[in-house]
Amino acid sequence: MAKPCGESRREHLLKIGVSGVRGVVGDFLTPAIATAFAQAFGTYVGGGPVVLGRDTRASGAMLVHAVTGGLLASGCEVVQVGVLPTPTIQVYVSATGARGGLAITASHNPPEYNALKLFNARGLFFNGYERAELVDLYHQRAFRESVNAEMRGIVDASHLAPRIHLDRVLGLVDVPRIRTRRMRVALDAVNGAASVMSCTFLRDDLGCELHAIAVDPSRPFPRDPEPRADTLTDLARLVVETGADIGFGQDPDGDRLAIVDETGRVLDNDDVLAMVVDSALPRLHGDVVVNLTTSSAIDDIARAQGRRVHRTPVGEANVVEMMEAVGAAIGGEGSNGGVICRQVHLCRDSFAAMALVLDRVAATGLRVSQLAAKLPRYVRRQGKVPFEHGRLGRLVQQLVEALPEAEADTSDGLKLSLPGGWIHVRASNTEPVLRIAAEAPDRDVADELYEKALALASREQP
Amino acid sequence: MTRALRISQVGVRGVVGPGLTATHVVEFVAAFVAFLREPGVVVVARDPRASGLMIREVTVAALLASGRDVVDLGIAPTPVLQHTITRLRAAGGISIGASHNAPEWNALKFFGGRGRYLSTAEANELLDFYHLGRSCYVGHEALGTLTSDAGAIDAYLDQLAAAFDFDALRRLTVVVDCCNGTSALVLGRLGQRHGFRPVLINERLEGVAFAHEPSTTARTVALQLAPVVVPLGAAAGFLFDADSDRVAIADNRGRALSEELVLPLVADYLLPREQGRTVITNLSTTALVDDVVRAHGGRVMRVPVGRQAAADALASLPPETVALAGEGTGAVMMPRFNFAYDGIASMLAVLSLIVEGGRTLADMVDAYPRYVMLKGEVPLAASRMPAVLARLRERFVTGRGGGVATIVDGLRVDWPDRWFHVRVSQTEPIVRVISEQRGEAPEALHASLLEEVRRG
Repeated sequence: MAKPCGESRREHLLKIGVSGVRGVVGDFLTPAIATAFAQAFGTYVGGGPVVLGRDTRASGAMLVHAVTGGLLASGCEVVQVGVLPTPTIQVYVSATGARGGLAITASHNPPEYNALKLFNARGLFFNGYERAELVDLYHQRAFRESVNAEMRGIVDASHLAPRIHLDRVLGLVDVPRIRTRRMRVALDAVNGAASVMSCTFLRDDLGCELHAIAVDPSRPFPRDPEPRADTLTDLARLVVETGADIGFGQDPDGDRLAIVDETGRVLDNDDVLAMVVDSALPRLHGDVVVNLTTSSAIDDIARAQGRRVHRTPVGEANVVEMMEAVGAAIGGEGSNGGVICRQVHLCRDSFAAMALVLDRVAATGLRVSQLAAKLPRYVRRQGKVPFEHGRLGRLVQQLVEALPEAEADTSDGLKLSLPGGWIHVRASNTEPVLRIAAEAPDRDVADELYEKALALASREQP
Repeated sequence: MTRALRISQVGVRGVVGPGLTATHVVEFVAAFVAFLREPGVVVVARDPRASGLMIREVTVAALLASGRDVVDLGIAPTPVLQHTITRLRAAGGISIGASHNAPEWNALKFFGGRGRYLSTAEANELLDFYHLGRSCYVGHEALGTLTSDAGAIDAYLDQLAAAFDFDALRRLTVVVDCCNGTSALVLGRLGQRHGFRPVLINERLEGVAFAHEPSTTARTVALQLAPVVVPLGAAAGFLFDADSDRVAIADNRGRALSEELVLPLVADYLLPREQGRTVITNLSTTALVDDVVRAHGGRVMRVPVGRQAAADALASLPPETVALAGEGTGAVMMPRFNFAYDGIASMLAVLSLIVEGGRTLADMVDAYPRYVMLKGEVPLAASRMPAVLARLRERFVTGRGGGVATIVDGLRVDWPDRWFHVRVSQTEPIVRVISEQRGEAPEALHASLLEEVRRG
């Protein structure tokens, strides 16, 4: 039964827009919508082979049929890769000359959700203009309708894709050095799409002593699928109990990574990104790209290695676009545990992140907690307040007036940079809330900046 | 007006692409599940058309999303699908295939429990559900699961083996034109399991280019099948449509028999061994049926053309009183096996008749009273149809014509030795004109009928 309109709007039970299709499976994300969207996608890429994979959500199998039907109807050949991490699917698209790819995954969202992630022939997210064209096609129902003689078939490539991805990742690091260390690694793959591949990768490729939980892709998610300190308590316990050197926590489609140090402490996402960037830069050419909300620790690390940091609006697609534009080596978004390593592929990739951190540990012989302690230290305050999107303009104006000495960046909400810290306020893309973050080397400054922004935003609350 | 899509009581049919789309399929299947009251699995099968894969995917998605477990038989004959529905006590089934139509067509046919065709009332309700956009999608924790059933053809053959004497049939040389359709799967297995091996032609499953149109008519039998019967020394030749629910026949002299002869031949075999006395057929089927059935002490019940009407008639009678239902198109149903039109069972019945009668098929056919049927078609002018029918009635019934009229489906008029039937096709925008006479062709009658209909 449908819920009242107001409630539905707030919960975002279905969203069809420039980021694709996302919704609660059942009355909202229906097979009819998935089939039609896939047919629009097939029309947009113009037929030819299209790679299709999924994560382990219960609704994935049903949606594979719906999407396959839509792709076939538009004259595409459907290259099914089965249950695989999103980065593995993207790498496979780029490696095989397919016309595009789709991943059926709602990433870190709860199990009742599912979504279609869309990739172009290079295995990259469509850019904003392409996405807008695709959504127009969907709404116009201007689909390519293939006749019988134009119908193509279904190909099973599930056994081919993992190796291509893992070999690219292994090319990033000193594999013999990691294998020699025989590190003890704990893993929580949330029974997601990376479950099987992560075990192969850590145990067989990198020679780790693996202690894994939640690596059965046939079972439901045992925890909130977003890997955070409060959802990774089982992993933290596993690290301590097994005396592991490190713990890895993944999300259902294997693009995000959280790290637990050997004491059982879940590292801050910004620290994970900083640690990976620190490990990667000596081996790779190019700059660093992060979003506006990512910690200034990245700037210090890049500066130490003579690289520039480019900032973008929040969102993986924005970071990827900038990485392409400036030829960056590595990038990511501290806020959500995503690391993008160009040499593997321009996508968030928990495998690249795992390899680079293990490489760092092997190279330095330090404990993970020691590596984290050596990172530049900033104090971060962040939170969210209910907010109506239309009021952002006035808030931006008031903040600029309140801090006239700050350098303002309005590419995504407002970021005000001061010599001793920064504030970033932005409207969420997915909820009617305003996200506020402030950071400074000094706790008092961080608190002051945060409270100032919060006070102004609260005055603008509905 | 070219009709590339028809959504009606009979189901959904169209030319895939310009007519029938993935969206139609998902919406209709969703409506079907909303319409199904019985719990249970839904069985799916398809014919080898390339578009069948697309339609299968979308169909399976809509069924799973509606919380139904699905058994997919893959490429399999419709009679096997119907048998499986009964065997698994499934809630219903969906056959994906356009039967005797050209490759660019496809269609969905819906079945209820025990593999039966939907009645007119049910079909109307389903159509209403489709137009209302009804569905009953479930949440992620209640979605259905998909399985296959590799034993479906064997289980179906077990049932046929219990009814027909394969040891006796094995002695006959038989040639079959599979029209690149699903019959090849059953007949191949028949050879492996029971040693009865018809010579197969066009047995390769084909998605795009059929060797020829897969319709069960004397015309298609004459193309490739009839010419090889005599060289092979075969007792008979059979031709199946893509989903194997219809059959057409060549006799041992290499003659392509009229498709109208299938039902009388099966009746000749079946009536002596059936309790049921009633044979259901439609108003366009040959009068030879009446002669054969009467000779066995049975009775013929004539219903409007279309499976819907036959299904309604079947439902209105006690099952044990019905021996047979069928059409002049080569589609024959023997309720003792299944409530399914079954070309393969019909073939086995005709072969059994040959074995038991001790006569050749040609001799048997020649011993029947001779009827000559003429079939014609005229483009439909829908708005003028009532006037055409009224004029025909005036001329052939109430006036000096003196015939007996039946008006449940267009107009049929009967005289003692001849009859005609003028009706609008359910599947194409044409008027069908059929006349038949004992002894010789009713040329003059047929010509005047065509002229009247063309006048509009």
